[in-house]
Amino acid sequence: MSYTFLFRSLMALSLLGSIPAVHADQLDDVKSSGVLNCGTLGTSQPFSFQDNDTRQLVGFDVDICKLVADKLGVDVRFKMMSVAARVPELNEKRVDIIAANLGYTPARAEQIAFSHQYFASRQMLMVRQESNIESIEQLDGRRIGAVKGSSSERDIKNRLPNSTVTGYADGSATYLALQQKKIDAQYGSEAGLMRFVQQAPANSPLALIETAVFVEPWGLGIRKNEPEFLAAVNQILVEADASGEITEIFDKWFGADTPYAMQRAYEVEPITSL
Amino acid sequence: MLEIVREYWPMLLVGQYPNGPLGGLALTLIVAVLGLAFSLPLSLLIALARVSPVKWLSFVTAQFVRVIRGIPLLMLIFWAYFVVPKLIGSSVSGFTTLVCALVVYQAAYLAEVIRAGIEAIPSGQIEASRSMGSSYMLTMRKVILPQALLNVLPSMTNQFVSTIKETSLGYVISVNELTFSANQVNNLVLTQPLQVFGVLAVVYFIVCFSLSRSLRWLDMRIRRSRAMA
Amino acid sequence: MYLLEAQYLYQMLGGMVTTIQLFIVSWVLAFSVALTLVVIRATEWSVARWLVDAYVEYHRNVPLLVHVLFWYFGMPELLPESVRGWLYQHNAEMSLAAIALGLGAAAYIAEDIRSGLRAIPDTQFEAARAMGANYLQGMRYVIIPQALRHAVPALIGRALLLFKNTSVTMAIGVAELTYQAREIENDTYRTFATYGAATAMYLAGAFLIMFIGARIHAYYAISGGRNA
Repeated sequence: MSYTFLFRSLMALSLLGSIPAVHADQLDDVKSSGVLNCGTLGTSQPFSFQDNDTRQLVGFDVDICKLVADKLGVDVRFKMMSVAARVPELNEKRVDIIAANLGYTPARAEQIAFSHQYFASRQMLMVRQESNIESIEQLDGRRIGAVKGSSSERDIKNRLPNSTVTGYADGSATYLALQQKKIDAQYGSEAGLMRFVQQAPANSPLALIETAVFVEPWGLGIRKNEPEFLAAVNQILVEADASGEITEIFDKWFGADTPYAMQRAYEVEPITSL
Repeated sequence: MLEIVREYWPMLLVGQYPNGPLGGLALTLIVAVLGLAFSLPLSLLIALARVSPVKWLSFVTAQFVRVIRGIPLLMLIFWAYFVVPKLIGSSVSGFTTLVCALVVYQAAYLAEVIRAGIEAIPSGQIEASRSMGSSYMLTMRKVILPQALLNVLPSMTNQFVSTIKETSLGYVISVNELTFSANQVNNLVLTQPLQVFGVLAVVYFIVCFSLSRSLRWLDMRIRRSRAMA
Repeated sequence: MYLLEAQYLYQMLGGMVTTIQLFIVSWVLAFSVALTLVVIRATEWSVARWLVDAYVEYHRNVPLLVHVLFWYFGMPELLPESVRGWLYQHNAEMSLAAIALGLGAAAYIAEDIRSGLRAIPDTQFEAARAMGANYLQGMRYVIIPQALRHAVPALIGRALLLFKNTSVTMAIGVAELTYQAREIENDTYRTFATYGAATAMYLAGAFLIMFIGARIHAYYAISGGRNA
């Protein structure tokens, strides 16, 4: 086994993701197979997670995938996948579409195609109430924690150039670091942070800084070079928006009856125009 | 901690089953048992090849072991997940990939442990056995390996236990084993990660400790029966 | 050639440097603790032996990730507030990670050395004592050097594992190689390229360790022996 061979294999592998697929149209494939394979994280409440009572996969992303499959007239099959594997899973054709906390950035859009925005995540900062921090700027120079891989740490670094950002394994670990004063603020999506604010013990309350750092548009991930499939998915989203189905799903997971009590404040629209 | 166990034990024990694929501790055990069952014979073969007088055989296996040991298991699993289907031309499940990656990885490590054991046996023994007319293989089988394997049993036990713990890396390719389930629970409980990981630690401890204790007991018994203790 | 821009490679090299620092510090810690454990374990005093056994069993049977989380989130809570504050301002992730990794590896290294010890006949120790060496001298000059020699292959394996296991510390935010790789992956979604580069860097580091290990092995080998 020579080192050159190994190196070449690695190079070759690194190219795999960028070779455009040459095959029949994916829309036809999905329709003829009768199944839409949807990849989702399974560990991201309330987007996709395992319900403890029924032990079934549920959530906002799960319902969106179901919606797309219904409108295509096919069954849906879910596949749980990790953050690290989600993009290769899609590009290697293990799944047809991914609904997995995919925030749009131009760099990311070089690897996968994004559907219209189906969710907009208000990225916010959460602090300990006793720290009396009320504005984003007050945090410049302080330590900020975020979940590794959940959202772009770069955005917070741009906004607060003197702060250090530490990425933790998950939201719970970041929360613990915040409560233990290892960090001064936790950065994340409004929905995610709200649950911590509500569940924090009374003797160490937390608060969100009112203004969002920025609003991250989320799209469904589709392989590049599948214009017809992408158009079909987009059309489904637009129609479901007009018919009120998207709002219905939103209210089911984020509305007044949920712990989040959020108002829908985004449109289904092309991401690139945002 | 007890509350977490009381509330979430089905998820930790079997994952989504019967509403979905089997997961949790049950899956961890299945992966670990398969991993051990296949890696032990493979590692013996590799170790024998490595110390064998056949030059090319020992060279090839040495390079194989070297590369495998140089790659973090996490990366190996990740690559196996995307490369194996390309090699065999059909898609394989995350479960199969995890077992394959674990077997290859552990076999490389176990082979090193066994080789160290073989090399610790004084070479005079081989010479004595060979000069009495035994073949190379017979010498290995009857003289060297029994002593070598016994001498390195503590290190081998370590590797077995590692295998169990390393099944947890299946999360990168979404094998919903125990650690994956614990992460899901963590996501539901949210504010008690230390307790959730505490439960996880206790469960792994019980499984691993019983294995290492049984092997230690076996070791003692063999030593006693050979009056070596 | 499409792989990664210089900016990302630079970021990864930074991660590699952190990985190597973490590896060296925790290895030194692990080896010193392991030797202490072996010597204590070899005494006749049953309480000491029991304590060492408990230490080893804990580390062997609890996944490293859980152990690292325990040191990062659990241990500092026992420190006084002022010390804690200071620690958090001075890269607590890195030092606590090194301690957790080092203590964990020590348990394994101690076992490897013990395996080596078992290959040495008891008579050698008795001979050393008979020649007037006390317990520590017998261990230090006669037994441990030989045990280490037998344990060299296992110890090299252990060093490699420790090197690779440093990646677990990304869970508590240590910006090592895997952490940086995931960061870049998350920025660009170029999964294969980033993981390919990371794998290549780990391999390079591992080969270096193996090379040094082989030198040590050759140095320690018994001259005229089968593996000299």
